[in-house]
Amino acid sequence: MATLADVYVLGLMDPGEAAAIEANMKGDPELRAAVAASRERFLPLDAAAEPVPVREDLWSRIVAALPSQAGPAAGAPEPPANENRRNGWRTTAIAAIAATVILAFGLSYSLLRTSEPLVVAVLVNDRGEVQAVIEDFGNAQATVRLLVDLDVPEGKTIQVWTLPSPQMGPVSLGLIDDARSVRLDGPALPIPRDSQLYELTLEQAGGSPTGRPTGLILAKGLARGTR
Amino acid sequence: MLMTPGQDDLAAALAACAKGDRRALRSIFDREAGRLVAIAERIVRRRELAEEVVQESFIRIWTHAHQYQPDRGSARGWIYAIVRNRALNLLRDSRREFSVEEVDALRESEQSDEIMAAWHKLDRNSRLYHCLAALDETKRRGILMAYISGYSHGEIAGRLRVPLGTAKSWIRRGLSALRECMA
Repeated sequence: MATLADVYVLGLMDPGEAAAIEANMKGDPELRAAVAASRERFLPLDAAAEPVPVREDLWSRIVAALPSQAGPAAGAPEPPANENRRNGWRTTAIAAIAATVILAFGLSYSLLRTSEPLVVAVLVNDRGEVQAVIEDFGNAQATVRLLVDLDVPEGKTIQVWTLPSPQMGPVSLGLIDDARSVRLDGPALPIPRDSQLYELTLEQAGGSPTGRPTGLILAKGLARGTR
Repeated sequence: MLMTPGQDDLAAALAACAKGDRRALRSIFDREAGRLVAIAERIVRRRELAEEVVQESFIRIWTHAHQYQPDRGSARGWIYAIVRNRALNLLRDSRREFSVEEVDALRESEQSDEIMAAWHKLDRNSRLYHCLAALDETKRRGILMAYISGYSHGEIAGRLRVPLGTAKSWIRRGLSALRECMA
């Protein structure tokens, strides 16, 4: 339990595991004590941080957003414990809706064909804008459709990657030189699975010299199974 | 070095916040905001994002102050944990999954300086310093990378140039040695 608490306090858990710990802490005094003890152990690292100057408007922003304290007079309802950052999530939500629409389109499109991809991934850039759709047929073949004009400087190329498993690491599916839609004949890989990562990076012409992504990430996304 | 006003003051301020006293929240802000922005910035990398993290954290401190109990550790640890969790969530939202292999030399050099700086600022007489110093270099670095900069297991493995499983087990063993040393 102490290790679990440490791993949680260090921020090393994925969001699902961390949420489980937080939920369990409510009813488990022992876990609560383990987390508290772990926080105290590491606290000196934060307590020794050099304070930075704080702009006065930070306080006014806080005051402007403060709900009245929910007492017996019941002011604003307390936000849920997992309340998310509003602005960040708005962008993400819009991107997710867009991705879902395109995904639905991709899925229904793929249902009309005889050869079906096993997974479809919608790739978005770091602003959440949809850039490309990848369909992986699982027989060493995948198609990529670029939905926007990606800027490819002279001497560079777009390389398509997937991450079949953390152990294998990223594997190149091939290069996109110019076309908006290409069929790639990649290496033989394990059957693509749900949530497998796909990614486009900008690499030097001829592809990454190391066989691993080295360049700027243009877009990435997680696959969904087509059934 | 750690001569900040007493824990009791912060615990009392949280109790006052729970009763709706905004001056108590302001006193926490005056005392801790600069340091909290610095802590968040080590994780999210940008000052304006760090300020956003601290802004949201203070609202959460206000709305959740009634939940603070001494069995949740010191008031300071409780407040800092809110900021750390916010910063880590923000980082995870924006993190690129290819972290193990991603080559991002700038981030790496800047952050490794920062990790070393945090390590050097740690009070030499503290038990934590003594026990971290007793660890192997790689285990210590792994733990510091996670705590100071919010690195994931994958990022730590990449920086230490070891397989993911190795990094995970080093960190676990490091944590367990650290607990034993500090007990």
